[in-house]
Amino acid sequence: MKQSAIKRVVPFLIFLILLLFSISFLYPVFFMINNSLKSSTAYLKSPFSLASGNLAWDNYATMISQFQIFDLFKNSFLISVFTIIFLLIIGIVASYAFAKLKFKGHNIVFILTISTMFIPAQVTMIPLYMLFSKIHLVDTYWSVILSYLGIFLPEVILLLTATFRGIPDEIIEAAKVDGAGYFNMLRYIIVPMGRAGIMLCIIFYFIVTWNDLFIPMVFLQNMKLRTVMVALSALASRYRGDPTFQFAGLVLAAIPAILVYAFFQQYIIKGLSAGAIK
Amino acid sequence: MENILKRNKKSKRRFTVSDAILSVIPLLIVISFMRIYPVLETVYRSFTNWNGLYRSDWVGLRNYIEMFANSPFWLLLRNNLVLLISVPLQVIFGLLVAVLLYEEIRGWRFFRVVFFFPQIMSAVTIGFLFRVAFGLDGPVNMALQKVGLISHLIDWLGNGPTALFVLVFVLTWFSIGWQAIVMLGGMSKIPPSVFDAAKIDGANFWQRTFRIVVPMITRNIEYGVIMSMVWTFTSIFPFIYSITWGGPGYETTTIDYMIYIKFYQSSSNLGFACTLAVVLMIIIFIFTVTEMRFSNKAAEWED
Repeated sequence: MKQSAIKRVVPFLIFLILLLFSISFLYPVFFMINNSLKSSTAYLKSPFSLASGNLAWDNYATMISQFQIFDLFKNSFLISVFTIIFLLIIGIVASYAFAKLKFKGHNIVFILTISTMFIPAQVTMIPLYMLFSKIHLVDTYWSVILSYLGIFLPEVILLLTATFRGIPDEIIEAAKVDGAGYFNMLRYIIVPMGRAGIMLCIIFYFIVTWNDLFIPMVFLQNMKLRTVMVALSALASRYRGDPTFQFAGLVLAAIPAILVYAFFQQYIIKGLSAGAIK
Repeated sequence: MENILKRNKKSKRRFTVSDAILSVIPLLIVISFMRIYPVLETVYRSFTNWNGLYRSDWVGLRNYIEMFANSPFWLLLRNNLVLLISVPLQVIFGLLVAVLLYEEIRGWRFFRVVFFFPQIMSAVTIGFLFRVAFGLDGPVNMALQKVGLISHLIDWLGNGPTALFVLVFVLTWFSIGWQAIVMLGGMSKIPPSVFDAAKIDGANFWQRTFRIVVPMITRNIEYGVIMSMVWTFTSIFPFIYSITWGGPGYETTTIDYMIYIKFYQSSSNLGFACTLAVVLMIIIFIFTVTEMRFSNKAAEWED
């Protein structure tokens, strides 16, 4: 009798604790969305009340028409996409070599690559800035993309090499016997069979580069080239008591990453629990 | 016939070797120019009075002495160490969440998505949200006042200790989900039979958690702790930038944040900024070696 009562109460308690945690994670986001729909007077009157009556879409309208947030989206998007493309090209061929070709000294190159993983971006920032300004890359997307390649390639290599190692050697041998050359091997065997790792890279680095502040802030000073997060953080620093306009921008800027997460969350969680990336 | 086969084999092998080398060349170029060169340059410049342009005289250890003797370095290090308080908090809450999710309570998939949610939001967004929340006339003060917990408003971000508290709070809030996912990864490798057997034998929740689950995921907990420590030293720039700007004064400025400040505000001595960078690198190196030591130990156990 007592046992069964406990059995019924415990799951309920667990559920309750998890629910409380969930609220603490979701409420701030709700707070932001809710208040982005208010006028500043409505916010100052009460930040907790529900946005109601005539919703103030003005914040969003201003964000789009005057702050031209979609131009900023374009900058962020181009940087993310080109970073991912180069990460994948360089990462896939190198990981293929580490996992399956095993040339003399591949271990040394691998360890050298991985050991640069923990070098903080702040350490390389100053020399890189000087280097980029010498070759006129500061204030171009390339300075940001190249920096990202340096920072993320070791992680990508670690992940993809592990993924490719899981491809059975027999399949590769069979393809070789069938006369598959280097590129056909990549195209028909390695890439399709390493899909899970590659997808994880695409999704993860889209979110990371889209959300990043430090690298684009250092290398992009031209207002026209700024990424959406750089521009919004500059806008946020002009906040004085009424955040509704900033909230609208931050909500818009969060949408691409949230969409990607919503569609692909099982990839991300799988990859993270494999301990590949932080 | 034999000869042809032999030659064939040989040429095939040579083909693969050059393929392999060509495959890693792009990687090596990126790593050399984007990682190794800048690190060497930073180390070299840390012994100079470099101003970013023409002046770069060798000054020996002067930057290092200056840093340890009369710069806010110790304050920066203290701030870094205070922010590390967030790590055990993340682990405790992360473990709680992970263990509860492991029980596969109804709706656990939903909860997992929610707990991980902060990780996909930009630190810019999270930072701004909490800067507003902890503002002088912000929602936190409003709520506390309404409930009657405080009689006068707290200037959370205007005082060193409370500003650090806010940062610790935000970092913990942000990382709980990540820690939980890392631990769940370890838990998924526990054979279900072990867990079920314990359940049938009548082991209660606490016994299951501390006798079975926690010992079997020590490796993941260690990984989570070290990675989070490294992360706290290297990657919290956007949080500080969007919440406190390192202020008041240098009260919430960390080593990595100071490198940024030195880079922007005074281009007079970039050599000094490089010195800070070298010290930061050494700290990270120590953490990384510790992590490798741990993982070697874990590998030994597995054997």
